[in-house]
Amino acid sequence: MSIYQSAVRKPVTTALVYVALAVIGIFSLTRLSVDFLPSMSDNTILVMTTYSGASAADIENNVTKVLESTLSSVSDLKHITTSTKENSSLVMLEFEYGIDITEATNDVRDKLNLIADYLPDDANTPVIFKFGTDDIPVMILSVQARESMNGLYKILDDRVASPLSRIKGVGTVSISGAPVREIQVYCDPLKLEGYNLTVEGIASTIAYENRNTPGGNLDIGSETLTIRMEGEFQDPREMEHIIIGHFQGRSIFLKDVARVEDTIQERSQETYIDSVQGGSIVIQKQAGANTVQICKKIIEKLPELEQNLPSDIRIGIIMDSSDNINRVINSLIQTIMVTLILVVFIVLFFLGRWRATLIVAIVIPVSLVASFIYLLISGNTLNIISLSSLSIAIGMVVDDAIVALENITTHIERGTKPKSAAVYATNEVSISIIASTLTLLAVFIPLTMVGGMAGEIFRQLGWIVAIISSVSTIAALTLTPMMSSQLLRLKNRKTKGFDKFYGHIEKALGALDAVYAKALNWTVRHRITVILTATALFIVSLFLFNIVPTEFFPQQDNARLQMTVKLPINTRSEITKELSFRIYEQFRRDFPEIEAMTFTVGQASEDNVYGQLGDNGSHIMTGNIRLSLKTERERSIQEISDAMREDLRRYYPEIRTFDVGAGMGGPTGGQTTVDLEIYGNDFTTTDAIAAQLADLMESVPGTSQVTVSRDEYAPEYLVNFDREKLAEHGLNISTASQFVRNRINGATASYYREEGDEYYIKVRYAPEFRQTLEDVQNILIYNSQGESVRVRDIAAIGETMQPPTIDRKDRERIVTVTCVAAKGAALSDLVEAASQQIDKVDIPPEIMVSIAGSYEDQQESFKDLAMLMILILILVYIVMAAQFESFTSPFIIMFSVPFALTGVLAGLAVSGTALGIMSMVGLMMLFGIVVKNGIVLIDYIVLCRERGMSIMEAVVTSGRSRLRPILMTAMTTIFGMLPLAVGRGVGAEMWNGLGITVASGLTISTLVTLFLIPAIYSLSAERADKRKQRKAERRQRRALKETN
Amino acid sequence: MKALFISFYQAFYDEVMEVLEKNNVTGFTFWEEVRGRGSRGGEPHLGSHAWPTLNSALITFVPDGVVDTLLADLKKVDETAPKQGLRAFVLEAEERTA
Repeated sequence: MSIYQSAVRKPVTTALVYVALAVIGIFSLTRLSVDFLPSMSDNTILVMTTYSGASAADIENNVTKVLESTLSSVSDLKHITTSTKENSSLVMLEFEYGIDITEATNDVRDKLNLIADYLPDDANTPVIFKFGTDDIPVMILSVQARESMNGLYKILDDRVASPLSRIKGVGTVSISGAPVREIQVYCDPLKLEGYNLTVEGIASTIAYENRNTPGGNLDIGSETLTIRMEGEFQDPREMEHIIIGHFQGRSIFLKDVARVEDTIQERSQETYIDSVQGGSIVIQKQAGANTVQICKKIIEKLPELEQNLPSDIRIGIIMDSSDNINRVINSLIQTIMVTLILVVFIVLFFLGRWRATLIVAIVIPVSLVASFIYLLISGNTLNIISLSSLSIAIGMVVDDAIVALENITTHIERGTKPKSAAVYATNEVSISIIASTLTLLAVFIPLTMVGGMAGEIFRQLGWIVAIISSVSTIAALTLTPMMSSQLLRLKNRKTKGFDKFYGHIEKALGALDAVYAKALNWTVRHRITVILTATALFIVSLFLFNIVPTEFFPQQDNARLQMTVKLPINTRSEITKELSFRIYEQFRRDFPEIEAMTFTVGQASEDNVYGQLGDNGSHIMTGNIRLSLKTERERSIQEISDAMREDLRRYYPEIRTFDVGAGMGGPTGGQTTVDLEIYGNDFTTTDAIAAQLADLMESVPGTSQVTVSRDEYAPEYLVNFDREKLAEHGLNISTASQFVRNRINGATASYYREEGDEYYIKVRYAPEFRQTLEDVQNILIYNSQGESVRVRDIAAIGETMQPPTIDRKDRERIVTVTCVAAKGAALSDLVEAASQQIDKVDIPPEIMVSIAGSYEDQQESFKDLAMLMILILILVYIVMAAQFESFTSPFIIMFSVPFALTGVLAGLAVSGTALGIMSMVGLMMLFGIVVKNGIVLIDYIVLCRERGMSIMEAVVTSGRSRLRPILMTAMTTIFGMLPLAVGRGVGAEMWNGLGITVASGLTISTLVTLFLIPAIYSLSAERADKRKQRKAERRQRRALKETN
Repeated sequence: MKALFISFYQAFYDEVMEVLEKNNVTGFTFWEEVRGRGSRGGEPHLGSHAWPTLNSALITFVPDGVVDTLLADLKKVDETAPKQGLRAFVLEAEERTA
């Protein structure tokens, strides 16, 4: 007994199986966590090595190059980039996507162990960091404070960060921008000199005076007690009264030579939230935790936490990733609903039967729900990709149900009882339903094997569509016939109103059939004309390649901007701060779209690793801007950032360079960039070329911003000790340098402990005594005999330029000129312009210039996808050849594929969309979809021929009979894509390209297929017939000869 | 005693059974899937690509008196969809016990 027969005979079992499927699906849905993107495997490892006191060039030679040469042999490595600064070297290893990062990390660790001995002794052990999608902060809170500013760090740490980190799923909570408390001992050098004291002496005295000492155990009677001496300061002011030396028989107290200030770190970053100083709290989640839930819990907890804070502290939200996720997910759910309704209406339009439409409307959600089970089992999340996949699938999976239903209806109209009709009609079409699903699988299963960044994204799309279409096929063979047998009636009793209304549609459809039959009649008589016209159309459409630009991923509008403004190097942070306020006020005035803006100025302290990784310095301002939602403003994020760049360029001549970036960064991020990479060892030459290229690119229309990666040379004072003079005074370089450092940078004397926290006690010259070069020259250096000498007597102080950060990529020094595309400019235009500009520059042979950035990613992914397209074409052909058991029929059907390309190009050109990854994927999907029309048509033509019709008759008859099913399945797919194609909601821009591609490609291909395929078929069939005839004639003649 | 051979489009199974029941015919032999083509221009049921439908066949042995009403009822079924085909042939039969 066949599967459809048992389904019809056991309606209860069948119904309950699908009810169970739906229940499990809905259960899975409630268990799924929601996220923005599917969690991608991490592919970046950072290795950071610090080497205090070494210059960039030294570190490059002794650390970076050593690390590079060893680490470059780690397998699956794509790029190795390094950035060497004074004191530190940062190696970034970029791996291919989809590798096991744990294994790679172990590899890296092994290699580092191997070379540990070859690194300089003073260099610290290299530290390994891993970065992945899970490390992207889920939420950033802003904290505004006025009176509590100095104690902010402690307050936030105790009362906000710790409670937040106890929430389930929250990973690290870090506080930035809030100043850290430090006890400063500011000395007066003149008094020190007068009393013969040194900073070092004071520091060690403070350390001795600030100590708790255990005194051992004491047996008293029957008990053993410990004894302890407590000497730690209870209050920083106690320090003022410690005796630091004697002079002429009198004790000298610390307060005599210095002042003690319980204050904050001297050089630190300051953060301003909407022009009020404060800090920010960055919250990361644990790997695999549910972002939306975490954010919800944090928001619920905030009012409670705020009650415990001093009244001047205000907590706000700078970034809430769940907000964006919720919006995107909601707009996608809307899209899915709209698609479902559209598709159901099309089915009603063509079938004209309420009950049949109801069956389709039940089968679609049942198939969709199955994908939730897959998502839960495979540990995926409900995200922008998985939900869009559902929307994409709707229009395609409905085809199976339609084909089965259409045939069942036909049988019923011929007078068969629904029960029998359901079984026998399904039996007739089961093979073609399975075959058309196989063509879909031939497209979507290979899609799960794409490599690289794109692969991470399309794996889910591939699996989801494959699973949904498989389930819908099984449903079409069981659930659809079962429901038809129960719901459909032999005599179609239509309600009067509907009957009247549908009568018109029926008449129109009938007329369409007749017109098409007539047109087909003409077509088979003018085959050559039709074929030539189609060919010409295709060739002409190829010229559209010149008009349609290409891109990588569409630019997304997630309503956030990042901004970095650099003043000339060494500008004091007060000036940077003043400028930042001016920019803030102007932006707030001119860009009403800004909802919140925070900015940070100043240098990150040495122990702030995250601060150090980013751009920081007294001359740098980094800003974070949140705009109103995309749907609530007129200007797009690209227009706004273009305008901001224009303003920065025009109104602030003091700015040396700036960078305004949209989105999250990365290839799926907000902006398209072209990187011109200049490889070469010589700083001067590469700098010159970079400057020249930057100038040229600046003038190219379509670039909105050009930045050069290499920083300015920083001027600095260089203290050059004279070794002979040092030796005369019994000193060495280290001691002398240490003296200078302790007076300016400060000597860490000890820690001040309070409530379990430790704060530095730093001893150094008071700020007013370290403001001029003379102050440095006057520093006294003591030797071991206690004799003193001034810096000016043993050293020459000169001004020099410090080499900038040295960036290297793939073991060569590199300067990158990054060009950001302006609104409306596509990647391909910029790349073309860039290569033209490169040709204009005279480049010496030892220097290499290449184009990377989004372009490199695009090229790689396009190459992968092109390979995949060939694979898919072959698979689709194989599936069809197996179905027809013929080589020629599938070959004829394949002629609809080129016209998919024609339609895609036309659609993209008309809508002004660029050809990106999403369109390429759309094109691949079309390979599987457009052949369905051909399959339906050719299958029926062959059938008619087998029933004894002539070629012409068969073509016209089957065209007339198959027009409606073809139009119906094509239109459900086209209209299923429309909501994606025209979507304007948050996050919709990602899928516009794919929607437009499939909708336009399928439209044109269907129209052409309806005429071209019959023409080619009749031509080739006639040829085959003639050949057969000639063969038969020859055989006859031979037979005649033999008998003669 | 007459033998009645009925060859019909599969989908008529329920209707044929109803006719038999109505006439109190309890015994029969039934082939669910057979291939066949009529000679009066109806649709062939060959289970092929061109003609994917199938026939069923049934033979029953009935007393002479029932034959006419049976044939009349079957004709009614046939007329609901003449193109699909339902044919009944009456043969002489004899029941013997050794």
